[in-house]
Amino acid sequence: MSTHLPSPVSIPRRALLQTLGGGLGVMGAAPFFANPAQAGTAGLASQAVHFAPRAKRVIHLFMNGGPFQADLFDPKPHLAKYAGQRPEGANLRTERPTGGLLPSTATFEQRGENGVPVSNLLPRLAEHVDDICVLRSLHADNPNHGPALMQMNNGTILPTRPSMGSWFLYGLGSENENLPGYIVLCPGRPVRFAELWTSAFLPASFQGTYVNHADLTPSKLIPYLQNEIHAASDQRRQLDLMQRLNALHLQARGPDNALEARIASLETAFRMQSDASEAFDLSHETAATKEAYGSGHYANGCLLARRLVERGVRFVQVYYGNGQPWDTHSNHNTAVQKLCQDIDQPTAALLTDLKQRGMLEDTLVIWGGEFGRTPTSENGDGRDHNHHGFSMWLAGGGVRGGMTYGETDEFGFRAVEDKVHVHDLHATILHLLGLDHERLTFHYAGRDYRLTDVHGRVVKEILL
Amino acid sequence: MPAPSLRDLSPLTLPRWLVLSLTIGLYAAGLPLLAADSKPSLAEIEYFERHIRPLLHEHCYECHSADAKVLQGGLRLDTAAHVQAGGDSGPALVPGSPDESLLIQSIRYLGDGYDMPPAGKLPDDAIALLVDWVSRGAVYPDTDLVDEAPRTGIDWEAGRRFWSFQPLIRPEAPAISDSAAAASRIDAFVTAKLQQHGLSPSPPADRATLIRRLSFNLIGLPPTPEEVEQFVSDNAPHAYEDLVERLLASPQYGERWGRLWLDLARYADTTESWLGSTPNSYRYRDWVVRAFNDDLPYDQFVRRQLATDSLAETGPEDLPALGFLGLSPTYFKELLLPPDIIKVLVADEWEERVDAVGRTFLGLTIACARCHDHKFDPISNEDYYALAGVFASTRMIDRPLVAPEHYAAIDAAKTQVAERSTRITELRKKNSQDPQIAELEREIAEIKAATPLYDAPVANVVTDESLHVLPAGDDPQAGTKLVYRPEPQDLHLAIRGNPNRPGQLVPRRFITVLSPDQPRPLQTGSGRADLADAILGEAAPLAARVIVNRIWTAHFGRGLVDTPSNFGRLGTAPSHPDLLEDLAARFVENGWSIKWLHREILHSATYRQSSAYDEHKFALDPDNRWLWRMNRKRLEIEPWRDAMLMAAGKLDLTIGGPSVAADDPANVRRTLYTTVHRRELSKMLQLHDFPEPSLHSPQRMHTTTPLQGLYVLNSPFVTAQATALAERLWQEVPGSPADRVQRAYRLLFARPASEAEVALAETYLQHAGVSPAMEANAVPEAWRSYAQALLGSNELLFVD
Repeated sequence: MSTHLPSPVSIPRRALLQTLGGGLGVMGAAPFFANPAQAGTAGLASQAVHFAPRAKRVIHLFMNGGPFQADLFDPKPHLAKYAGQRPEGANLRTERPTGGLLPSTATFEQRGENGVPVSNLLPRLAEHVDDICVLRSLHADNPNHGPALMQMNNGTILPTRPSMGSWFLYGLGSENENLPGYIVLCPGRPVRFAELWTSAFLPASFQGTYVNHADLTPSKLIPYLQNEIHAASDQRRQLDLMQRLNALHLQARGPDNALEARIASLETAFRMQSDASEAFDLSHETAATKEAYGSGHYANGCLLARRLVERGVRFVQVYYGNGQPWDTHSNHNTAVQKLCQDIDQPTAALLTDLKQRGMLEDTLVIWGGEFGRTPTSENGDGRDHNHHGFSMWLAGGGVRGGMTYGETDEFGFRAVEDKVHVHDLHATILHLLGLDHERLTFHYAGRDYRLTDVHGRVVKEILL
Repeated sequence: MPAPSLRDLSPLTLPRWLVLSLTIGLYAAGLPLLAADSKPSLAEIEYFERHIRPLLHEHCYECHSADAKVLQGGLRLDTAAHVQAGGDSGPALVPGSPDESLLIQSIRYLGDGYDMPPAGKLPDDAIALLVDWVSRGAVYPDTDLVDEAPRTGIDWEAGRRFWSFQPLIRPEAPAISDSAAAASRIDAFVTAKLQQHGLSPSPPADRATLIRRLSFNLIGLPPTPEEVEQFVSDNAPHAYEDLVERLLASPQYGERWGRLWLDLARYADTTESWLGSTPNSYRYRDWVVRAFNDDLPYDQFVRRQLATDSLAETGPEDLPALGFLGLSPTYFKELLLPPDIIKVLVADEWEERVDAVGRTFLGLTIACARCHDHKFDPISNEDYYALAGVFASTRMIDRPLVAPEHYAAIDAAKTQVAERSTRITELRKKNSQDPQIAELEREIAEIKAATPLYDAPVANVVTDESLHVLPAGDDPQAGTKLVYRPEPQDLHLAIRGNPNRPGQLVPRRFITVLSPDQPRPLQTGSGRADLADAILGEAAPLAARVIVNRIWTAHFGRGLVDTPSNFGRLGTAPSHPDLLEDLAARFVENGWSIKWLHREILHSATYRQSSAYDEHKFALDPDNRWLWRMNRKRLEIEPWRDAMLMAAGKLDLTIGGPSVAADDPANVRRTLYTTVHRRELSKMLQLHDFPEPSLHSPQRMHTTTPLQGLYVLNSPFVTAQATALAERLWQEVPGSPADRVQRAYRLLFARPASEAEVALAETYLQHAGVSPAMEANAVPEAWRSYAQALLGSNELLFVD
């Protein structure tokens, strides 16, 4: 066990800043910022990539709670054949005891040029299947929501590592200095909170900005976004003064990443006032667009995601809902109808929209939960967590569409062929962003850390 | 010597030394070069054991292992820990970077005098293997992780040997050559470590810095300009110690340190909606504050929170202490559902109690053993249920703060009043003029008048009653009923944590690893008092280490143990083990007095060090693990907000009572009293790293976000304090702007402004326009704006 785990309060982030080609690292030496507005963003400027990126930005549609693979993209006729049974010889051992196999009520049809099976629960999304690569063989390490959410976001099941969005910003910087580079949308809260978008030992400026979009009024989306008293120019002068005082303070104390990060975040805050108001304001969208996405929190999240990536936000995560709505421990089949109804149109609309704007080719869209669900029943009509095998899909951003990759067993329980671990998914996402997951490292407490730790294989088979 | 042909090495023909090393390794505290939580995969272990260890064994261990006759270069390569620690020349390996790794440079025979092994260069394929291994991250398996076989049982004797389960010892303080640096025992231990790492302490901080540091640390408020002036010019030899005493005696001390405890206790003012309102929760908060102010010995503090209701020496005034359990989070139980589902929810609640008690008082993650033996610590599945039975025999209730003999009469009267109130509500729905209403109201008044102490204050407490989840009727569809019984219950071990699969009955008792002999039965009533006895008896060394480390963490921003609520194997080992032992042992000897512990820490030279940067030392220890300086600390939301209110002259220092809403503009009380809503934290608290109030929170996180920046720029709260501060400056300081600026700096930063800062202020004030809306106001808008810039500055938020 390492004795040098980062403590949350005394993390030296200094080393990194010095590696950012000057960046904030030089600030301590400068008596004043030539232009405070620039000083705050230096650490977020785009960095060099390892090779030509296929994706410039990522939208992650997070089905928190964990959808059941065989309802959507991984048809398993054996579930009906052996309904209620636990066939002899089948290894269906789940974390907590479950009953017999519970058939999915979904039907499947071969869709698109390559005849990829898609569930009737997702009729509109099925029209996009030629842009979608279904990964059927994901697997993760832990069947509990907290650790699994953590792994999907941070690569490990413990809350001490940077989230993938922080690694994206560390590797690529932000395209828009006036918005956070990494925004997490959730109408409410997922069951784990800030640790899912933490920057851990990476600079704090790389952490995700959480936005509860349950209420769409821009000033309510982002608390304290508006100033009731000052004109913007007066406030800029006020902030210039504050930053000059902060620079004097920093100069007297030598380098200190915590001080520097706060200086940077104040600049971002200032610019957010105008830029975020506009970016988060869905009233700028045409009626036709709004209609295409439909209504509801998830639809709003998808549309906001498009507006945000369009404005250079590097990574937008959209959590489907408050808590863990996909966690269907009981009454699974009824619940999943409603959940699919909710996501089908907005997800399809997002893909259409990105395509129409010419953005799909360099925007990677990721869909999936923190794990899947059991093919066997829990409490008669529910399904339990299943991290042994589950589906996710990727679209755009250099991914081959109209294909599936990997297989689960005949019951959809375990990934068995061309398995893709969460580490492999992360390695692949980084690859698409032009980053080598083995070279995107951060030296901390005696070793070089990676998003993929010592694991990860780029799933080259799905790349364009 | 050529490397053996490794490809031929099958697991069945492992050489004897390898088998031996695996066996011995089971209990060796090896460290992987991997981080703590990344368990090497079997493939990586196999790769290492088959390809790398044989090479190291063949070519290196003769001089670089425990078996070496004379250890060369201080370097051992036979355990992960030693590889990580490196030798006299520093770390042997830089995982992922073979070119930067000394070991690789040596075996490449670059002719720089470090060529290894001395007998001759290794064959190219052996070098290639080692280079490959280092580039893959130099995975060196923690030898006990090699044990992938399912556990068949816990070796208790081995388990008890873990450092945190040992009896406390009083280590000898190291002799330090520089006696000035070793003013106290703490300093002797710290300085010894510093010297070991080629470091030295920083000089003391100046007086103004010290009083600001101490003041925020002990009472969570900035010093007043008068206090600063007095301390800076106080030439008495004990000026510093006197200041410590004054602050420790301040009633604000308990408000600051009580909050530390409330984070652990997952305190909330407003709990789950299905409980109805909890207007009395603040009585627990106020009890905690008072306990800190009174320096209630920590053992008493623990005992009362678990079982004051069974202590002869405490009375009704201590009942709120039970709020630690009485305000526990609860989970919604839909009683229409069958009992097997509700049983799971109830079992989840018991788990929550085990988790909170285990982590708070013992720094152990006992709840991990609900479904199986703990994967890392010697805590068995049975241990979990032995403890959970205590909480399964404990019920959360409201109780008047009166002597127990009055409970029955008051409870009966309240039931009668509640019945009548319900009927009044029903009658009102039909006819608000119904004459029965007046009659019922008269009866209510009579009942209240006839019941002594009817209106006595009420607290959220617990009592000994066991909860049973039963079918509501014979029909399987009838749902569930919850039945409380006066007698306690032992729990059946639930197979894989599922209460619907009961296994053997486990009598309530303390956990095995902390019991030298047969574990103490926890059978008196619920067993809460017995549990307190066990924590403060056989587990006292661990309990003392845990609380001492928490107090240390709060002073330094970082613990001696980095994981304040995990003193098990997944926690981190102490940076200064002897220091922790010494402090914990003396803490117990000094009557478990927290204030004694504060003095011990605050009087040390280590605490008084400057936080200034030093390039050389920073390069050696960027993390400040060895305490070569004081950590610069960022204020939590409470002292930061309180400091603004105080500088603005608005802070209401009333102690205790019901909480006040965060967004109430009239809320100028200390932030401790801002309503903590368990399910929905106020935005202000949420933005500023306030811990999730449904979870035990070992330590505050510090994040830096633009949203916090928006709070500084735009929130009504900061704006209001800026206005108030500007008005205060305007009223209190007649004369030149420079004088007002000086006053502001003293109020906020405990120091005078520099010439450059005054000049900046003057320029700013000259050029800032006065907005028409503010013209009527006596204070120019520019001053308000200036005050806000000061409130938002880093200097207010950070403490040197």
